Amino acid sequence: MNTPLDHSSGSSSLKRRIATLRGFSLILFVLFSAYLFSLQVLRGGEYRSRATDIARQSTVISAQRGEIYARDFTLPLVLNTDSFAVSIVPARLPAQRREEVFSKLAATLGIDVADIRRKIIPAYYHLYQAIEILSPVPYSTITKIAERIDEFPGVSWQSKPVRNYVETGSLSHILGYVGEITRDELKVLYNKGYKSGDVIGKTGIEKQYDQDLRGVDGRRFRMVDVLGKGVKAEKEEISPPVSGSNLVLTIDSRMQEIAEKALGERMGSVVILKPATGEVLALVSYPWYNPNEMSGPNAGAAYVSMLNDPKTPLIDRAIQSSYPPASTFKTVLTAGIIEEKAFPQDKKVLCTGEISYGDRIFRCWIKKPGHGWLDLAGALEQSCDIYYWTVGRDYLGVERIVEYAKEFGFGKATGIDLPGELDGFVPTPQWKDRRFHEKWVGGDTMNLSIGQGYLLVTPIQIADMMALVANGGIVYRPHLLKELRDPNSGAIIRQSQPEPIINSRISPETFATLRADLRKVVTDGTVKFPLNTKVVEVAGKTGTAEVGLVDHWHSWFVSFGPYDKPVSEQIVVVVMVEASNPWEWWAPYASDIIYQAIFGNQTYDQAVDTLGLRYLVPRKERQE
Amino acid sequence: MNRYRQTLASIDFPAFGAVLMLTIIGVMSVFSSNVNAEGVIVSTDYVRQIMWALIGLAVLLSLLGIDYRQLKDYSPYFYLFLIVVLIYTRFFGKVVNGARSWLGIGDLGVQPSEFMKLAVILLLARYLDNSEHESDAVRIAKSLGIVMLPVALILLAPDLGSALVFFPILFFMLIVAGIQRRHLIFMVLVVASMVLFTILPLWEKYILIRPTGFLLLFYQSPYDFILLGLVIIIIALSLWGRISFKKPVYYWISYVSLALGIGLALSIAAHKVLKEYQVMRLIVFLDPSIDPRGSGWNIIQSITAIGSGGFAGRGFLAGPQSHNNYIPQQSTDFIFSIIAEEWGFLGGLVVFGLFWLLLHRCAAIMEAVRDRYATYIVAGVMGMVAFHFMINSGMAMGIMPITGIPLLFLSYGGSSLLTIMAAMGIVLGISARRYHS
Repeated sequence: MNTPLDHSSGSSSLKRRIATLRGFSLILFVLFSAYLFSLQVLRGGEYRSRATDIARQSTVISAQRGEIYARDFTLPLVLNTDSFAVSIVPARLPAQRREEVFSKLAATLGIDVADIRRKIIPAYYHLYQAIEILSPVPYSTITKIAERIDEFPGVSWQSKPVRNYVETGSLSHILGYVGEITRDELKVLYNKGYKSGDVIGKTGIEKQYDQDLRGVDGRRFRMVDVLGKGVKAEKEEISPPVSGSNLVLTIDSRMQEIAEKALGERMGSVVILKPATGEVLALVSYPWYNPNEMSGPNAGAAYVSMLNDPKTPLIDRAIQSSYPPASTFKTVLTAGIIEEKAFPQDKKVLCTGEISYGDRIFRCWIKKPGHGWLDLAGALEQSCDIYYWTVGRDYLGVERIVEYAKEFGFGKATGIDLPGELDGFVPTPQWKDRRFHEKWVGGDTMNLSIGQGYLLVTPIQIADMMALVANGGIVYRPHLLKELRDPNSGAIIRQSQPEPIINSRISPETFATLRADLRKVVTDGTVKFPLNTKVVEVAGKTGTAEVGLVDHWHSWFVSFGPYDKPVSEQIVVVVMVEASNPWEWWAPYASDIIYQAIFGNQTYDQAVDTLGLRYLVPRKERQE
Repeated sequence: MNRYRQTLASIDFPAFGAVLMLTIIGVMSVFSSNVNAEGVIVSTDYVRQIMWALIGLAVLLSLLGIDYRQLKDYSPYFYLFLIVVLIYTRFFGKVVNGARSWLGIGDLGVQPSEFMKLAVILLLARYLDNSEHESDAVRIAKSLGIVMLPVALILLAPDLGSALVFFPILFFMLIVAGIQRRHLIFMVLVVASMVLFTILPLWEKYILIRPTGFLLLFYQSPYDFILLGLVIIIIALSLWGRISFKKPVYYWISYVSLALGIGLALSIAAHKVLKEYQVMRLIVFLDPSIDPRGSGWNIIQSITAIGSGGFAGRGFLAGPQSHNNYIPQQSTDFIFSIIAEEWGFLGGLVVFGLFWLLLHRCAAIMEAVRDRYATYIVAGVMGMVAFHFMINSGMAMGIMPITGIPLLFLSYGGSSLLTIMAAMGIVLGISARRYHS
């Protein structure tokens, strides 16, 4: 193709094409220069007067943040309290009175005069922009300033509502708290309409539903000159703020209080949920913090002290801590053994209190001579380790145990509508090989069979495990939001719908057998004595997890009830008490109190008395 | 060493001078944007800009020493490497202004999409040079393929502005690659109709305000699909007519209707992909007063700053608009408004003139070189410079949409400065070797 003719015609065509690009550049230059000339020289005066004389300045009118209610929608758990911010416009403050006003203002506000000097440095003395000195300031202090306004030239105040957490205690982990948006948060949320200085939810529901709660800020526009001085305008333009939606939670205040008291001052957590919908009725984690301390003048110090607290009060233990599930995991194994027909249900295994495997002796939780001959139902009832070790290792096998653990939702966050939920962890032979370069051995399978070893779960996952059993094969996403309501009319804007997250292929018959076996744990098994409430039939499973401490264990009890009622009337209760507390085997007792109080329609103290547990829990209040 | 000195002596000095001048003006303007109305330095971006400028200059000078023909073999690897980096950025990058398009290296952020432009230019040049015997359709399709991969990744970030730059680069290169004029015009028609169909509905909604009914055809389902179907039928009929009757009129009907049809289909896709606020940012310059508090604010303030600069400007560090923080993103997107406010029309004209000089010299280098591969590289760089210049300074003056792409050499930012310096290093290296064939 490269004939001389082609080449020459090609190159002359190339010349023409380059000339086109050159022409384009020239036209671009001429047009842009001409437009710049018209903008700067022909119309320059017009723009210059616009720029020097006045510019539009806008001030923000904060939108009212939505309030948060419990499920009965009566009194708010969180509301906004009127409060004020005090500011100074430095240029309106005459130079000779500056020191006098600073010290008087400091005295009235109860702060150090150095704080004011730090905010208004000499470079700002000629500024017409208001500089905030302190917030929140109560109304009473504002009246003191207002009465003697002549003594405070240049001082002004603006309404700046603060978040007031009416109910604190165990609700703090659910509600979370708010604070000023940080630079990092702003980078991510820039496109969602956030701007610097905004108040934003930092954790909990406040963070999760920030977009619904925050509303839309309004603006007041006025004309100012280049120094920021207000210029008298014909009319002030206002775009009004839109209040945020009110949130109604699924939390039942009464159950939350009962759960909180039943756990008491023990590090751990309680979850109560409705298996038929996934609604969380109570969610307690101890210790907690006071969200009111997280805003306000000393927020920084409060945050640091809580961050350094060895009891980690900022962690929501129900969703942000994972533990070995211990014997509660036998629920999963039992389901697997029945469904897979891995081992005949009525075939018995002899428990002599210990078995040896490899070069190790594995001891059942009961000492010699052990449980004797047990079938599956009996093994679950007595929580016999020997049975599950033997059947888990030799008949079900690690692959199927892992498969069933995942079927029950372990190793994956439930997706509850709270930030920071953990995934937990389900170990596999492949993982162990990758992580430690060691082979998975029979001993590992035995550990896994009784919920020890590398397996880690969160209390909310354990609640979902029981919800799967109670529902007979389906789990709805646990959630805390019941509905969003319009702040003015109270009309429902959006309602949460049950959303299935697990649709199990395990047969309904398996679940029915499992439920019956779990019921026997309460009627004839390990918790026959601690769980003796008469008002409701409970089915459940204990767990006592080894964590390397002597005579201290994590105490689990996961249950559902009433056993004899349809699932729509049932609740799932998980109590988890950490090993760091004095050992009391508290989880079954706490569950007992919770069931008694809820279904007996009693208060916590009445329930304790009815159950005869007063000797375990001394009264807090004064007795005559 | 001697050879390097020889090369340095024969580079295109007007172009090199323009590069140096623009870079110095850039550092000064970034410094000015770091100073507030009280004369206090509030940011040290300018220090980093100086550092980037020096590094950029070093890169430019060292690239002069490399014969551009050696780049040919490496360009596919360079391209693939950056594609991998872009994919990595998509998942693990830092989010800035809502787009996940940054990689953090220590304290410094790097924007891989900037370097991608250079990689695309080099690979496209290689392909176009190797494919002169292929048909136009194949060359256009394969070139589009090379461009669309990074464009798709950048759009996912989402960073619309950076993605758009690749098209003028491609177009400039296709022009000098000898693609037939009717194909080039076809591409222009497709793009124009797509833009038109995309913005018409919002233009009607926010600027015209009274609904015109007929425009519903373009965005309301199912009318848009009915219209698309109709266009397809017209295309099919005219193609059939063209094959059966071989009359030129059928060719031109199918030509126009095909362009409009593709544009319409793309605009329907764009409505699905782009958020309304993204399109709004693109069209708000047509009438900033429809959104005086949002994106319109930037435009109004920028125009006011430029306009008030007048003939001779307010003087260095003395622009009231710029230093009172009326203009957001002053040092990056709106760097031109600070120059125009402080140095006036004279300063603006100098900047425009330097860009024109650079583009003009690019054309001159293309005319002088004998090697097609070199021509393609220069054309790509020229397309990049022209587009950045047109969109960014046009945006500052309120006659181009806000896309957030920087003004090359001037805007604060290491990635874009290093990229253009490297690109100029290659172009100047080509100019020095213009008599080689």
